[in-house]
Amino acid sequence: MNSRSILKLLAIFVLASMILVACGGGAATEAPAEEPAAEEPVAEEPAEEEPMEEEEPMEEEMAFEGLSVAAADCEYGGDISSIEATGEYEVTFNLCKTDPAFLAKVAFTPFGIQPEEYIASTGGTGELLEAPIGTGPYQVTEWVRGEQVIYTAYADYWGDPAPAETAVLRWQTEGAARLQELQAGTADYITNVSPDDYSVVEENSDLQLIPDLNPNVVYVGFTNTFAPYDDVAVRQAISMGIDRQRIVDNFYPGGSEVASHFTPCSIPNGCAGESWYDFDAEAANTMLDEAGFPADANGVRFTTAIYYRDVFRVYLPEPGLVAVELQTQLRENLGIEAEVVVMESGEFIAQSTDGQLDGIHLLGWGADYPHVTNFLDFHFNENNPQFGDTHPEIYEALTEGAGIADVDAAASVYETANNAIKALVPMMPLAHGANANAALATLDGAYKPPFGAAEFYKMDPGKDTLVFVQNAEPISLYCADETDGESLRPCQQVVESLLEYATDSGDTVPALATECVSNDDASVWTCTLREGVTFHDGSTFDANDVVASWAAGIDAANPFHVGNTGGFDYFSYLWGGLINAPSE
Amino acid sequence: MATTAETFDTPVSQDYGSNSLLRLTLRRLFKQRNALIGMVILLFLVLVATFAPIIAPHSPTVDFIGVEGAEKRGDPCIYLLGCSRDKPQHIMGLDGNFRDQFSRLIFGTRVSLFIGFTTIGAAVIVGTLIGSVSGYIGGWFDNIVMRFMDVILAFPSFLLAIAIITVLGRGLQNALYAIAIVNIPVFARLVRASVLSIKEQEYVSASRALGANSFRLLFIRILPNALPPLIVQSTLSIAGAILEAAALSFLGLGAQPPTPEWGTMLGSERNQVFTAPHLVFYPGLAIMFTVLAFNLLGDGLRDALDPRLVQKGSG
Repeated sequence: MNSRSILKLLAIFVLASMILVACGGGAATEAPAEEPAAEEPVAEEPAEEEPMEEEEPMEEEMAFEGLSVAAADCEYGGDISSIEATGEYEVTFNLCKTDPAFLAKVAFTPFGIQPEEYIASTGGTGELLEAPIGTGPYQVTEWVRGEQVIYTAYADYWGDPAPAETAVLRWQTEGAARLQELQAGTADYITNVSPDDYSVVEENSDLQLIPDLNPNVVYVGFTNTFAPYDDVAVRQAISMGIDRQRIVDNFYPGGSEVASHFTPCSIPNGCAGESWYDFDAEAANTMLDEAGFPADANGVRFTTAIYYRDVFRVYLPEPGLVAVELQTQLRENLGIEAEVVVMESGEFIAQSTDGQLDGIHLLGWGADYPHVTNFLDFHFNENNPQFGDTHPEIYEALTEGAGIADVDAAASVYETANNAIKALVPMMPLAHGANANAALATLDGAYKPPFGAAEFYKMDPGKDTLVFVQNAEPISLYCADETDGESLRPCQQVVESLLEYATDSGDTVPALATECVSNDDASVWTCTLREGVTFHDGSTFDANDVVASWAAGIDAANPFHVGNTGGFDYFSYLWGGLINAPSE
Repeated sequence: MATTAETFDTPVSQDYGSNSLLRLTLRRLFKQRNALIGMVILLFLVLVATFAPIIAPHSPTVDFIGVEGAEKRGDPCIYLLGCSRDKPQHIMGLDGNFRDQFSRLIFGTRVSLFIGFTTIGAAVIVGTLIGSVSGYIGGWFDNIVMRFMDVILAFPSFLLAIAIITVLGRGLQNALYAIAIVNIPVFARLVRASVLSIKEQEYVSASRALGANSFRLLFIRILPNALPPLIVQSTLSIAGAILEAAALSFLGLGAQPPTPEWGTMLGSERNQVFTAPHLVFYPGLAIMFTVLAFNLLGDGLRDALDPRLVQKGSG
């Protein structure tokens, strides 16, 4: 009995060992099979079988097997039909509809390219959030949480090499603290100079002021599902009864202007149509009287709340002051008693964009890419609950406009949309704020492009280390799943997109793609990729990296669609929705 | 006749006692220079708060936008000190919303004193009730109540106040609740300790032997004798409460705009330390002086009410 059971145990042990050896050995023998690098992706395919369909191998490029990601059909509502690696250095985007803003969107940082293998090995999260691997001029050496991100120049960068061997990104929430760093010489470049400090920088010959021409708007939002804002007359009256010029003159830096339209005029078709209401408190009061909001014995028509977050934004550099000023004007011009309510930033964004705030809210928008859709479609589309019930008069025009590639041809449609916005007043545009960064005078080439962030490698501090101080710590460095500008900036140094924005305009210039051309109706775009580019981990850049990076973001069923929050907001909203998005 | 005899009998002797203690305390208080300074500042603050509308040249909420010579965060302009007469006089300058900083500071005195007195007043009343009843009854009741107080004390008071505000919501009123709540255990413990020692004293036993009920024993015989440390502690706590309220407002959790609260004023202009120092300097100074006044007075009271010192003085 005993000896038999020992034998049994022995047999099991031997069997188990054999299995272990077989598995381990298999991995060990497979690992060196690295040299046909192009073939690797094929071997890995099964892991991503569902979203990524294998393409028929092409005869000419035997080694290359292109990946693709595709929607079953265009019924899901998004713009992307499929993205295919149609060659080792060619990627084709098949869209469901014409997209005139395609190039402008593709250049955006969240659509940066990381190695296919790296995304797979991290599972779309974890290390990917801390240490992105890109093709950019700088690579992340270390992210010391709460302190700084340290970069080292990437020696094999395909473009001009970075002048400074090391770049350090730090953050300071307070404008005064950032300026002091600059004055003390411990920073080479700081973001967002406080409006009152412009003269301090200008008068100091050791510093330079760098205007930021990113188009933006700040607005007073009304949620029309709450009384009294369900009455369009009230919304119009407030739009007329606020002296916006007074706000811009007193609470915005020079160069800011009163908003004539929601979209700034620097964006094509942005200010088609009628200008906003002129300030006329008398007419506004008459409207409120007629709408059934007479003033009581104390001169108060109704009470409301002004919600805002106390966060410096280019479009709203001094939120507290503007909120109080608005409170004053509502009381004095219109007899509306408002309570000023400052909210925690995240909570404010969540509640305002969800249409849960029962008063008015102060919020703004900075352009992500230079197209009118970036302003209007995001805010006034059919499904945005921010301003309560949506208006077909507005969103139908926007849908039509988004399908017209020619700027002039779309002008009349945007005129209709802007006029409808003026008539229905989902919000009141206040101002387009001016903004400036600052740098040491010795920082050669210091600049701020109108879109995206300044690239460290284009600036020469004349020493080994460039120190850049921004407003806040990045949330994560996997920017496919980030929307925060303080995260996109550090990402942009490391990870490149197919295109990038020019340093002085909203035009796109080649980056990882040497060119992207479309068919006649701008529904199929073919991008030719740059050859000989390597990632920071030494791997070679090819079309499959592009498809894999995009697939992780755009395809909700992709195994690597994980990220930091899993929201992949920019994929979702710039491309009209995610492929395979879980139904609600 | 019987009533007069009674009033003649007991209260007179009591009155004599408390009067002499009061007189003695005051005399000792006035002898201390520190306490005197505290009292003078406090008296000044009370006068300022009372006559704020007369002292302040402007309303604390009216702005000077569009008025000639008025600049956002304009520097102080005092004619007597050579400021040009063409400019409007604002002796502490204008704030970010073009409001007269001096007027806001004056009205802020009201808010701060109100905060100090109401929060500590509430904390003293509740704390005394809890502490005295708990100390008098003793046993398991005392144990449970005091452990609960210990739990509250275990949290850093400021963090606890923030937590309470998180639940109740922002605003001055909720900040007042929060500050009052975090101060309750201090007084409860203090009063309990006094009650525990006093209730064993012979005159209490005597009163009990004469048939006094618990209520009378506790509130007529014991509590008045537990007052001195309470007075000292509450004076010192008012300083703390004002500071705490200012800190909460600084963080945007307390008084909301446009209330002229010193902490809010400091907080909203904290970014302008270098460009417009007067906007943080004066509210900071006001907070400092108010807190200093209460602290000086509290320290003085402690010395004046110390029975050991009384003996030393009379002996």
